[in-house]
Amino acid sequence: MMMADVFSNLALGFGVAFTPVNLLLCLIGALVGTLVGILPGLGTIATVAMLLPITFGLDPVGALIMLAGIYYGAQYGGSTTSILVNIPGEATSVVTTLDGFQMAKKGRAGPALAIAAISSFFAGCVATVLIALLGAPLTRLALAFGAPEYFSLMVLGLIFAVVLAKGSVLKAIAMIVLGLLMSMVGADIETGASRMAFDIPELADGLGFATVAMGVFGFAEIIRNLDPDAQMDRNLVQQKISGLMPTRTDLKESTPAILRGTALGSLLGILPGGGAVIASFAAYTFEKKVSKHPSRFGTGVIEGVAAPESANNAAAQTSFIPLLTLGIPPNAVMALMVGAMTIHGIVPGPQVMQKQPELVWGMIASMWLGNLMLLVINLPLVGIWVRLLRVPYRLLFPSIVIFCAIGIYSINNAPTDVILAGLFGLFGYWLIKYDFEPAPLLLGMVLGPLMEENLRRALLLARGDWTVFLTRPISAGLIAIAAGLLALALLPALRKKREEVFVE
Amino acid sequence: MSEADSRAPNSMASRIKGPQDFYGGLALMGIASFALWAASDLQGTRGFSFGPGTVPRMAGVLLFLLGAGVAVSGLLVNGAQLQRFSLRGPFFVTLAILSFSATIRPFGLVVSALLSFFIAAAATHETNWKETIVVGILLTAGCSLLFPYALGLPLELYPPILR
Repeated sequence: MMMADVFSNLALGFGVAFTPVNLLLCLIGALVGTLVGILPGLGTIATVAMLLPITFGLDPVGALIMLAGIYYGAQYGGSTTSILVNIPGEATSVVTTLDGFQMAKKGRAGPALAIAAISSFFAGCVATVLIALLGAPLTRLALAFGAPEYFSLMVLGLIFAVVLAKGSVLKAIAMIVLGLLMSMVGADIETGASRMAFDIPELADGLGFATVAMGVFGFAEIIRNLDPDAQMDRNLVQQKISGLMPTRTDLKESTPAILRGTALGSLLGILPGGGAVIASFAAYTFEKKVSKHPSRFGTGVIEGVAAPESANNAAAQTSFIPLLTLGIPPNAVMALMVGAMTIHGIVPGPQVMQKQPELVWGMIASMWLGNLMLLVINLPLVGIWVRLLRVPYRLLFPSIVIFCAIGIYSINNAPTDVILAGLFGLFGYWLIKYDFEPAPLLLGMVLGPLMEENLRRALLLARGDWTVFLTRPISAGLIAIAAGLLALALLPALRKKREEVFVE
Repeated sequence: MSEADSRAPNSMASRIKGPQDFYGGLALMGIASFALWAASDLQGTRGFSFGPGTVPRMAGVLLFLLGAGVAVSGLLVNGAQLQRFSLRGPFFVTLAILSFSATIRPFGLVVSALLSFFIAAAATHETNWKETIVVGILLTAGCSLLFPYALGLPLELYPPILR
């Protein structure tokens, strides 16, 4: 019965995804994602924010298909430059440089690229099936949730985000709370009272999510890259790529690594706060631990490419699960997807799965198609992608500034939005300089309204009794897990472990 | 809070073990105080029902405490030094953004984008003006086709005199 459901759902999805327009959008998204993945200094979050306005004219399914393509496309692109020139285009492929570049140095760039693509594709397939399998049951669970459960679940999600983020736990929590505060600017949901808006008409509707994201991730990143000490090393070694095909031993050695990487990545992707970066680090560390010859890692072993590449792609895709079923974005890119859905008038959550199945399943099916496209087109295009790396930053950054400015302006045709984004750019630059992570801020800003609404509703129904979060079993369980995690993160022993993982 | 360190900068600075966290935490406390002040006129809790001001005040107090925590840890634990801020990059990028928002309405996309492109390009000394002019014109042309035509967004391209 359940399997039949999955098949009929997937059939519906492929029907949606196979229309020419959606296929084209999927291809565009995947290509743009690859491009972004390759260009260092242009992150996934900034790009998704930048392209949000472009998706206005599209129908919702097409918009989400394209934005999703950018996200997983970037996982492919990032690995290409990691392997060929030792520059990770994305944070998710930092570990791939360790063994990937060493392989390229030994003249085995071809097999490294091929294994990276194959493992990404395999992980993508597994993750797609996983989304299809878990979608329905999780949605049913979510529908049983009341306001207290939702609130506790979001607390748990934010704590996860804090525990898995790198750097200081205290600072990450502070960023989340700042994001929550920022989400409260503008009209109050229940009473309509204007909050912290100072009678400025542009703030009456609240701070635009895309505006803040573009400022803190787009403009701030550019300003940061212009710092004299951030000048990127662009003296590239041009590698001759010969022989794409991996040998039989390569395949034999990488298969278990791909399987483990996929499993670990899928799991970390579903967890709130997880996502592709942590997944790739964890998979590499894990692979090194179970290996019979850990000392050879870092000298160009194929498992060192296969494990993180399958993990980051699996995680990039399974992180859609909490978004689609519970309506809770587990990381900053998913937070932007919420923004995209809201723009199209869709409130993410279990209702979407029931009322607009074609939207959800169309997107899921398109992910599999997009992965296939990436596998087929990426390997032959490697040469072109690498040449793109030679575009100098001095020409790239003014173009990004203008593109962002036009994008923000076109959301509401409001010049003040552009100024606001500029101010948030300066603020983001300040955050970077003081080592505050902007990603939790964005997460807090997206979850803010949801959390406030559920908190108010829960307390109203409980007649002001705060113990409601601890007396309802599901809610109490979630809070207990959150508290346990937080305690663990603050324990010195684990803190050392976390640092180790990120130092590597 | 800034009084103390302006009065005795040397002795204070030597006692602060992690200046980055210390000043970062102080700044968060400042932001929190500002938010608390901004939310002070809002209706609070009435009976069991939260007012519009309840949650902002809770978040404000929480942020203030967290900021204090970060500042105290910066005071006591060895940590990173303050990083240097450069001026040229932020200045010209911000100027480009401001010029864009000031000129887009009265002059249209073509003038606005081109002008802002050149201002932004001044943010680095590496800029080679010949190629920057070529790329600027190409980018403006590309955006003029992409946004109004391909994406159908309502953007004016030219100044009113030429329309």
